[in-house]
Amino acid sequence: MTTLPRGLNKRVAALGKPRKATYVVLAIFVLGSLFPFYWSFLVASRDNAMLSERIPSFVPGGNFFANAARVFDTVPFWKALANSVIVSGTVTLTTVLFSSLAGFAFAKLRFRGRNKLFVFIVVTLAVPTQLGIIPLFIAMSELGWAGHLTAVIVPNLVTAFGVFWMRQYTIDALPYELIEAARVDGCSMIRIFWNICMPAVRPAAAILAMFTFMMSWNDFLWPLVVLDAGNPTVQVALEKLQSGYYVDYSLVLAGTTLATIPILIVFVLLGRQIVAGIMQGAVKG
Amino acid sequence: MRTIRNGLVLALGITMTALGATACSGGGENNPPAAAAPNEHVDLTLATFTEFGYEALIPEYERLHPNIKITHRKTGQGGPYHEDLVTKLAAGSGLADVTALEEGHLSDFMDKGSKFNDLSKIGPADASPDRWLNWKYEAAKTKDGKVIGYGTDIGPLAMCYRKDMFKAAGLPDDPEAVKPLFATWDSYFAAGADFVKKSGGKAWFDSAAQNFNSMVNQLPQGYIGSDDKLAVENNQGIKDAWAKVTDAVAKGESAKLTAFSNEWNTGFAQGAFATKVCPAWMLGVIKEHAGPANAGKWAVTAAFPGGGGNWGGSYLTVPTQSKHPKEAAELAAWLTAPEQQIKAFQAKGTFPSQVKALTDPALLSKTDDYFGGTKVGELFAEQAKKVQKPQYKGPGDGQIQENASSPALQAVEQGKPAAEAWQQMVDAAKKITR
Amino acid sequence: MTVLDKVAPEGSKAGERVSPRPTFRHRLSRWDVKVSPYLYIAPFFILFGIVGLFPLLYTAYVSLFKWKAGSDAPDFIGIDNYKDLFADTQFWNALTNTISIFLLSSVPQLIIAVLLAALLGARLRGATGWRVGILLPYAASLVAIGIIFANLFGPKYGLINGVLQTIGLDPVDWQASRFGSHVAIAIMVNWRWTGYNALIVLAAMQAIPKELHEAALIDGAGTWRRFFNVTLPLLKPTLIFVTITSTIGGLQIFTEPKLFDAMPGSNNGGSTNQFQTVTLYLYQTAFQNASLGYASAIAWVLFVIILIIALVNFFLTGRIARTPAVKKK
Repeated sequence: MTTLPRGLNKRVAALGKPRKATYVVLAIFVLGSLFPFYWSFLVASRDNAMLSERIPSFVPGGNFFANAARVFDTVPFWKALANSVIVSGTVTLTTVLFSSLAGFAFAKLRFRGRNKLFVFIVVTLAVPTQLGIIPLFIAMSELGWAGHLTAVIVPNLVTAFGVFWMRQYTIDALPYELIEAARVDGCSMIRIFWNICMPAVRPAAAILAMFTFMMSWNDFLWPLVVLDAGNPTVQVALEKLQSGYYVDYSLVLAGTTLATIPILIVFVLLGRQIVAGIMQGAVKG
Repeated sequence: MRTIRNGLVLALGITMTALGATACSGGGENNPPAAAAPNEHVDLTLATFTEFGYEALIPEYERLHPNIKITHRKTGQGGPYHEDLVTKLAAGSGLADVTALEEGHLSDFMDKGSKFNDLSKIGPADASPDRWLNWKYEAAKTKDGKVIGYGTDIGPLAMCYRKDMFKAAGLPDDPEAVKPLFATWDSYFAAGADFVKKSGGKAWFDSAAQNFNSMVNQLPQGYIGSDDKLAVENNQGIKDAWAKVTDAVAKGESAKLTAFSNEWNTGFAQGAFATKVCPAWMLGVIKEHAGPANAGKWAVTAAFPGGGGNWGGSYLTVPTQSKHPKEAAELAAWLTAPEQQIKAFQAKGTFPSQVKALTDPALLSKTDDYFGGTKVGELFAEQAKKVQKPQYKGPGDGQIQENASSPALQAVEQGKPAAEAWQQMVDAAKKITR
Repeated sequence: MTVLDKVAPEGSKAGERVSPRPTFRHRLSRWDVKVSPYLYIAPFFILFGIVGLFPLLYTAYVSLFKWKAGSDAPDFIGIDNYKDLFADTQFWNALTNTISIFLLSSVPQLIIAVLLAALLGARLRGATGWRVGILLPYAASLVAIGIIFANLFGPKYGLINGVLQTIGLDPVDWQASRFGSHVAIAIMVNWRWTGYNALIVLAAMQAIPKELHEAALIDGAGTWRRFFNVTLPLLKPTLIFVTITSTIGGLQIFTEPKLFDAMPGSNNGGSTNQFQTVTLYLYQTAFQNASLGYASAIAWVLFVIILIIALVNFFLTGRIARTPAVKKK
């Protein structure tokens, strides 16, 4: 009888402790995920001939910096990088903020029309976006925004996806008790949101930030259509590397490798935010 | 809640104005193009895709015309470029003052002639028809005689072939000696059947669609009749071409590689086929994909089955959306003048379409070591003159080639019976021209 | 509980301070409660009014015309575009392809995502690295993905067919075969999106209080029972989210089949449209054929179909993640 509780104690303590197999499985997935990046770097560090090899060598060549230098010579990379940072940064901040606010309202506050308005938001997700580009261009021209970064930023300030996600997460992550206690203490709604809700939903907000940043960073056709020639985002600038009747892949992939670095930085910064613990979050707040 | 309503009202406002704008702003021809005062500052935009070789020419033009400032909007690939074009045509705004159009897409814009200025009216006098090869100039003329574009470059067709593979199969391999093999399509496919046998089953050409497109382009009438109706079902020439190409596929002459696919690229390095329909710009493609290891194996000869042909090349247009059509037309005319196109040829290898440029020493002296030091400039200039009068390309012609005939031939190569694939092509063409 | 204990005294002090003016405070507070929700959701609706509503109305309006981009006088044809669409075999073919690719990708993808999330939820060394690692495919450049998958699934020189042949199996023509192409595209989709969904599920799993797992463990529940009785029910809101967004995303699938086509940039979805999806068809109709009216009709019909399927999925998910084991409210 005395051994059982001790065994249980051990098992409780071991809860969530990974086995070796966990690392092996994850390593396989991560290797599969990393492969295209390493492969891009390989081609960028060598030359196009690699693409014709059936089983290419996995040792990088010495041309990466030469190819990267060609990227800077061919397209206004720094300008494009600055534009993309402005666009993706702004869009990420506003999307996370507005989506968290709306998610909080839909998940935890009572107001008339709540369910109908929420269903409406989810329904807008189902609108196929491919065709929207023509009317959106008309709208942006009418507003006088065509050619400016505004035209890329404004349509993405907040997304139905973000609102939907933050609402679903907030439902379970934020106990009513916390809100009620804060109400009793006389906290205003916005303080409850900022000091109680935000800390509790931080992991979800970090994930939304990663998705939004990436989506915005990789957006191509709309910026191509709406921005001025001298004012491109990174993806629009990089597309110019694919000109000509054949594609110089070592040049193109040097460009895409460079353009991925900011995403990786953002990922690592935000990745730390995805940490466990709703209570822990509330304490910090 | 008021803000929401305001937003709705705003959106509706935009809806109304915009619909009005797209539905009714067809005009443009009625207002004569207003020229800016001589020294008034003018901003022009120029939109191109792939490489036109204009990078150094633009500052030169700005030096010659201090009041003009040019913004060059360059897109890498034709696909997104023409999608952008459709968007702005539909939206009624946003097109560049000088907008490039690719030859293959030209037919899709010819029936929207009212959206482009007639360059024969507003363009400068020196941009007269005799500047260009006749077929190039005529192809940009709408049915009612409007000239919507100035020719830039062309892609005259010759034949490229693998000398070593010819030799191994016991065929002649000297550029002069192979010419009889490439005299007509019949001799070409017959030589192919012979080659397949002698080489132990190696393929003669890369892809059926590549040959079929060239054959159809040589016919007096294409997919679309002069009445702008689909005429593919009763066009004996197209039927014959189809029969010949699919017969060649059945005999194992095709390497069955979809043009520009990854496997096609690899095919060059692997020596997967012995001949290739070869517009001037294809030399660069071969060099890139076959790689230095195969240098000297490929050759090009001044012959093409059935006479001559053209694949590729572009035009500069001035859409009626332009606020400075006169200045835009002047820029387009200057860029497409022989002197400038020769500079573009030297910069990026775009083959000029101007008569005078084709006799320029810079062009004629151009050789290519990869192809055994052949005088490629002279060779393709000669091929350009062999192109007969242009075939009328009605609305949808380019799309039929890309989305009806090419996929249908790809299907034949993947094992679909030729008769069924023909029906597939006809059905697809009907949908496109609906 | 410790949280509330800590917060309460501070808060009550603040409450005392404002007590001399109860009515104003009270009114302000009531106003706050009433208006705040609308203020918080306002940004979405304002933005939708500016950039979302107009395209929707425009598309609906245009779908009633035979409208070629750039033509001067579009013909009003009422619902003829819709009638044509229902008789259009290419549309039904595209819809079948879409649903087939959707089923081949979404189902395995969601299952793997949940399992992957469970693995990632463990107390890993270098946790951030692993989590970021599985999200990477989504950040990879489309150019690179296009070439890599073409090299893998190339019918002639592809790696996979090479492997199949060395182990004595017949090669598959991944481009020509309808089912083969769907499988290949589904693999591409899963490769790009599984990590994305796993991360979403992971976030929700981590919000589950550890005490619940401990309690279940003490009650004698094993790993699988804890997973089905504790984890899954508490994941319900997230599973609904993932199912609905994957349904909507899966039925709008565009990038992967476009990249997969051997003909670069083509919207044909193969030589006989064997893997053309509805959005590819829509895109081809709008931007290549410039038939804006017909493309708009496709867009609206697709919209309605997606809504119906999403709704069905919503109810199905509700069933799968049944009543929560622990009431939270």
